[in-house]
This record gives sequence, C-alpha cells and structure tokens, in this order.
Amino acid sequence: MLLFQSEEWIDKWCKRNNLKRGEVLTIQQVWELSKLWYHNRLSLEYHGRSMEEVAEVFRKAGLKSDFWYIQR
Amino acid sequence: MNDTILWQTRHFVYQHFADTTHAPSVDVTAAHFNISAEEATDYYKELHNRHAFFLDLEALTIRMANPFSGIPTDFKVHANGKTYYANCAWDMLGIPAALHTDAIIEAVCTESNDTVQLEVKDGKVTNSELLVHFPLSFSHWYDDLVFT
Repeated sequence: MLLFQSEEWIDKWCKRNNLKRGEVLTIQQVWELSKLWYHNRLSLEYHGRSMEEVAEVFRKAGLKSDFWYIQR
Repeated sequence: MNDTILWQTRHFVYQHFADTTHAPSVDVTAAHFNISAEEATDYYKELHNRHAFFLDLEALTIRMANPFSGIPTDFKVHANGKTYYANCAWDMLGIPAALHTDAIIEAVCTESNDTVQLEVKDGKVTNSELLVHFPLSFSHWYDDLVFT
C-alpha cells in the first residue's frame, strides 16, 4: 500500500504502471483501520483471523465496498 | 510439532521486533527456546505457511512480520526511542497501533518522491490530507505479498 499526496499522483502512478485503480483511503481512515487490525498483534493469544473476523474488522472500519470482502 | 511452541515462537518474533526493531535469526530463536536450529526453522516455515509472518525461504530470514519490516523501506517509524521500518503506508500506522504508543513517521510519497512527516499523538494522526492507495482487493492480498 503506497502513500500519495493527491488523487492526481495516484492516477499518474496507475497509468504509468498500467494498473487499475484500487481503493483510496485517507490517512485518518487508515489509522482507524490500523488500530482495529493491529491492536493485539503483539499478544501471545493472537493466532491470526478467520475470514469472518477479517470482514468484521473491515465493517467496523467503515469499509463497505466489495473490494474488502471475499465473494462467496 | 508442538503447537504451544509454535505460537510462542510467533510471539517471540514479534516481541523481538518490538524490543530491537529487527527480526530474530533462526539461531537466536533456537537458543531462546533451547531447541535445535532445524526445529526453529521448521517453526518459522510453519508460521510462514500460516501467514503469521513472511519468510525469505532461501535466506531463512523474516522479511515481514506485519506491520514490521525486516529490511529498510521508505516508511520509517520513530517510536519509544527506536526507529522501525514498516512494510507499507498502512503498516507505518500499524506500528504505533501495535505498540500502543505515539510515533513520528517519515515516509516517501510515491510518484512525487517527497518525504513527508506524520505524527501519531494521543491516539490521533496528523497530516490528514495524505492518501493511501490499496491496489489489490483483499481477496488477492496473499497472491504476492511483496507487491501487496
């Protein structure tokens, strides 16, 4: 995941690398996601997440598009 | 393979990153658990297979234990008097989130190559005009972890 200063820089990078644009989050959104995703990473009890638990993290972070979810 | 030691190994690797900013070698982990280097290697490979961290399978070194990077990157995180490297723009915020601490982050923006500074302080992040691009949908994150 790369850091950009504006939407224009993202479009330029996608075009130069011939890649489709993915999802763009603000730093604030990424910080909220980081707290949910990493808060217990140093715990002995953390053994990874199930797909359902991953989906719950994304839901709590307010990420609602299909981009974040595995379609069944 | 002992499941208890497996997860203790994962925990040891993460705690080692937090304490020292870098990954423990196979030999360091073997010595910590009083096991052979071959056994420690087996635990490393199993944790790699379970996506607990990402192992360079040739060098047997830990390349990523997200959010920590085992190699220098464009995302430097200064926290608790140490300097960590994060794997990506998400992980640069993941480090203060995992350590539950404030941080100063120096990061290079893609395309412009400008270095910017962010601060995490008292649970808030500054420089909120910056953007993070996620090129791949979640279902493809583990196809190529380095690209992701």
